[in-house]
Parts: sequence; structure tokens; C-alpha cells
Amino acid sequence: MNGQNKRARRPTLVGPAPLLDRVLALASPYNSSLLLLIVFLVVIVVGLFVVRDLHSTNVEAQKMYAGSVLGLHRIGELQYQAQETRRSTFYALTTNDSNLQLEYADQSREADRRVNEGIGEYLRQVHMPHEIEVGKRLQRDWSDYLSVRNEVLASILEGSTKEAVNLDLKGGVPSFERVRQDLEEIKRLYDQQASEQLANVAATSRRTIFRLIGVLGITLTLASTSVWAIQRSKMLGTIQLAKLQMEFVASVSHELRTPLTVISSAADNIADGLVGGKDQVKRYGLAIRNQCRQITELVNQILLFAATKDRKNRYILRPLQVSQIMDSVRDNTAELVEGAGFVVEQRIESGLPWVMGDLSALSQCLQNLIVNAVKYSGESRWIGIRAFLHDSGEQSGKEISISVEDRGMGIDRLEMPHIFEPFYRGAAVSAAQIHGTGLGLSLAKNIAEAMGGTLSVVSELAVGSVFTLRLPMVEKQELEMASVNSEGDPTIRK
Amino acid sequence: MPRLAGLLFILASAVFSMAALSLALVPTLGRLPEPQITTEQNLAIVVSLSNPVENLSMAELRRIFLGERSHWPNGRRITLVMMEPGQPERAVVLRDICQMNETDFNNHFLHGVFTGEVLVSPKTLATPVGVRKFVFNVPGAIGYLRVSDLDSSVKAVRVDERGPEDKGYKLHVPPRSSK
Repeated sequence: MNGQNKRARRPTLVGPAPLLDRVLALASPYNSSLLLLIVFLVVIVVGLFVVRDLHSTNVEAQKMYAGSVLGLHRIGELQYQAQETRRSTFYALTTNDSNLQLEYADQSREADRRVNEGIGEYLRQVHMPHEIEVGKRLQRDWSDYLSVRNEVLASILEGSTKEAVNLDLKGGVPSFERVRQDLEEIKRLYDQQASEQLANVAATSRRTIFRLIGVLGITLTLASTSVWAIQRSKMLGTIQLAKLQMEFVASVSHELRTPLTVISSAADNIADGLVGGKDQVKRYGLAIRNQCRQITELVNQILLFAATKDRKNRYILRPLQVSQIMDSVRDNTAELVEGAGFVVEQRIESGLPWVMGDLSALSQCLQNLIVNAVKYSGESRWIGIRAFLHDSGEQSGKEISISVEDRGMGIDRLEMPHIFEPFYRGAAVSAAQIHGTGLGLSLAKNIAEAMGGTLSVVSELAVGSVFTLRLPMVEKQELEMASVNSEGDPTIRK
Repeated sequence: MPRLAGLLFILASAVFSMAALSLALVPTLGRLPEPQITTEQNLAIVVSLSNPVENLSMAELRRIFLGERSHWPNGRRITLVMMEPGQPERAVVLRDICQMNETDFNNHFLHGVFTGEVLVSPKTLATPVGVRKFVFNVPGAIGYLRVSDLDSSVKAVRVDERGPEDKGYKLHVPPRSSK
């Protein structure tokens, strides 16, 4: 059967982006999911960066608040309490009432206690050497001022106002000025820190904005690209199918024309009286019959494929012995195989279990494999057929394997995923002008699966190919049930 | 018979009077004042913690409280702290140290300031807390406080080698009157 050749060539794609089209064509079964997954992953990754930036900005802002804003607040409080210490001391100068003077002295001491607490807290929180140095200097200067303040208070309470004023002018003013300068320096440090942290926050915010814009841009670009790619992939698929169908029509026409030409020539010769003698007429008759059979086979194959595709085909499943199947295949292919001068090496294990299947369909499936082996064996003229018990390793247990092996041209690794697609023909096959419709392997695979089995291939270029049909063996119970029902209808329709 | 009647009348009157007296006293029982601490307390002479003086004789104390001594041995000016007139602590100081009454004490200072014999005029404060704070704030201050008013912010000096907790201490102040 000429229409069984599967090694067909995928049509050449033309367009502005052939490389991209090839990639899309290769990934066509998965393209939409794959592209959406890529978009999703990219957006997730970039989104994670953005979230990290936002978190970083938040942390910077909190650090700025805790470090600088609260720090400035503390310095403001320190400045106020230091002034309060000095102010309360001066208030004591404004009265001669010792009781009132004592009240002001208490206020001054309370304020200086708060200043000391503030300095202690500052020293606990700073870590930079310069900050620690300034803090300790402030502590020292404040202690110096308090010594003078105590003397001034004592003088005021003693009633020596003039002495108090002199003491303050001589020691209090300069020491308090040093304290004030220390506080200003700490304030400057906090300002500087706040500026640096503000710059960090601003930089992080800018970066986050850019990344957000980037995420949006990437998302939009990838989404647009995905939609475009999916559409293009669908379009390419449609074009490809149309081309395959055109090739199929051309191929079928060619397959039909050859036998028709033979029949037409034979008919002409007979009509023109060129054929004489009984033997010659017989030879012409055989030729016409063979060509008619070839045409019938081709048409049957096409009808079978169409029926399979439309799921209109109904198989009649019944227990079969492997030998039954193999006999049927041998009978149907003997003429082709012997005519082509092939040697068939057949090894069938004895005592193989029964299989459940449709004899005609299984025979057709194996015929397709043998026809392919004949077509693509080249000069080797050898076909190996094996049937054996195979342990699948799965729960289903053992299977019957029937393999068809040739030592022909083999199949390219890149073409392997496509050879079971309908109408597919490999590039090497087309180049070698081997005729076919690209339906044989597709049909064989459909039949194998309809029988609950599988069809697989192992091939190497210039070495050969092994196609293996695996069928589940019939369980003993099924077999017994089938034999009990054999008086009725022992078949299962599928 | 009239004598018996008179006796019965007297007896009944006595019983009635006692009952009435009992009824009158019952409401007041719940409001009886708490028993007062009647024992005397010692009066401590206090100076600043920074003052190196640990002991003063009664004579030295008299000179100080009469303003006749102006400086401590460390050179610090002495500042005398007195409580307001009428306080029992002031009365004890005037009586036991200055050996004067209020009028004599005032006259002494008026006269002394006028003649220049008195070098230090006392600061007058209203409460023991004020005295304590003043002595704490002024390194050269000297004042007096009941032992119960002492704390760690001031130092009590010994008087004639006896501290305010010691037996034989000479300065005692009557208990505070309850208000």
C-alpha cells in the first residue's frame, strides 16, 4: 500500500521571521501555556525585586524616624531642660525668700537630672566613634557647668547675690556655652544622618518607581508578545495543515495515477489488438487486477483514516492468538514482500497468551509497518518480525510485543516526535521521491490505541528502525468468559 | 416612812444620773484622740555632706548660732539656718545653745549687725524639709533637725563627742503638738 509512508517532510515555512516560526512550530503543542508560564515567572521575579525595594524603603524610613527624627526630638528636649536648669537658677536670684529660693533650686536640680538622663540615653544609642566622643564631651561639659551651678545656688541661698552673679559670669556662662555648642554639634550630626537617610529613602523610592515601570513594561511587552506568538502559532498550524492536506491530495493523485496509467495502457493495448495469445491476455489481466487492488487498498486506507478521525470506526474485539494475526499479515503482504525480493525473518515465541483485538484492524496495523519497512529498507532487503511476551513493569502486568524491524535509512531524531502525525512526511523521504500519503503510521497508532495497546519506535539514521506494537494480554477470566459466551456473541464492540 | 421614801428618791436619782452620764459619754468614745508620743526626741545639728566638721562643742555651737564665728576650718563661710519663731526646735536651740529667749536673740542680732560684732545673720525657713534642702544646697550651712527628720542628704555632727543617737546627748526637743 503506497499510502502508508510516514517519513514525509513538513512543509517549509516562509515569512519574516523563519527562525522564530521554527521555534514556535517546535513548541506549538505547548506554546500558550509555556509563554504564559514564562510571563508569570518573569513578573513574579521582577515583582519580588519591587517588593524587596518597598520593604527596604520602609525600613529606611523607620530607621530615619527612629534615628534622626526621634534623635532631634531628644536633642530638643535636652536643650530645653538645659535651659530650664539655668533659668531656674536665675529665678532664685529674683527673690530674698529662702523658701522660694529653695523651690527654684529644686526645679533646677530636677531639670539637670533630666538632662543627665538624656545624655545617658544618647550615649546608649550611638555607635559611631565621633558621636560617642561628642556625647562624652557633652557629659563632661555638663558636669562642669553643674559644679558652677551648685556654687551659684549656694551663693544665692547664702544671700550673696553679687558673688552668685560673678560666679555665673566667670564660670557658668562659658561652661554653659560649651554645653550649648555640644548640643548643637549633636543636632548637626542628627541633621546629617537624617539627610543621608532621606537621600537613601529617595534613591530607593526612585529605584522602586523605575522597577515598577519596568515590571509594567515587561508585563505588557510579554503579554503582547505572548498573544502575538499564540496567534501566529495558530495561524502557522492552520497554514501547515492546509499545506499538508494539499500535499496529501497531490500524493494521493499521484498514487492513483500510476496504477490508472498501467490500466489505461493495458486497456489501450487490448483495444488496439496489440495483445494476442492466451498467455499475454492473462498477463495483462493480472496486471490490471493488481493495479485495481492497489487502488482499492489506497482508497480503503483513506476511508479507514477518515473513519478513525471521525471516530466512526467500530472495532469488533475478540480473543485472538498471535499466530492468527501473524498469518493474516503474512497472507496480505506475501506478494509485496516476495515481489520486492525481501527476506522476512520471523520469530514468534511459542505459547504466547491471547490478546483481545480486531483481527482485521491489527492485521492492517502490522501491514502498514511491513509496507513501510519494504519502502524504506533500501538495499538491505531484510525484515525482522518478532512476537514475544514483555513485562511492562506496570500494574497491568505483561504485554504481547510484536516488533517489525528493518535495516533501512532510519529516521532523523528531530523528526521522531512528528512521524505519527497524520500527513507528516520527512525531508529525506521527500528528497528520495518515495511516494506516500503520510497516513500509514498515524493509522497504525490509532488502531494500536483503540485495542488498548501502544505503538512505539526506536530508530537510528542509516542503521534502521524497530516499530513495536504492544497489546495487553487477555486475562484468564476474560478468556473463560469469552469461551462461555462463544455460543452467543463473544465479541466486544468498541 | 418619809425617810425611806427620801432614800429611794436619792437612789433613783443616782441611778438616773449615771445612766444619763453613760448615754452622754458613749458617742464620744469612738472619737477619742489617738495616744500621743509623749517621749522627747533628740535635736540633731546638721551640716552639708561636704563639710569636714564631725564634732562641735557646746561652746563652739553657741558662738556659731550667735553669729560670732563666720567661717569653717575649710574656709567655707558659715550660713546659719533657723526655723521660724514659735517652733519647738528653735526654742530648744535658743534655750540650750544660745541660752537666750526669743527677744534677747533678736536683740543680739540687731545689735551685732549694727555694731559689726555679728558676722552672720541667720536664714529663716518654715519647715524641717526646707532646712534639710538648704543645708544640702549650701556647703557652709548649719541648721538643726529632729532625728526623725534626718536623711542621707545632710550630715548630723556630734555635740561634745556625742551623736544624736547616743546616750547623754544634750539637745532634746519636746514632741510635736498634733493639730
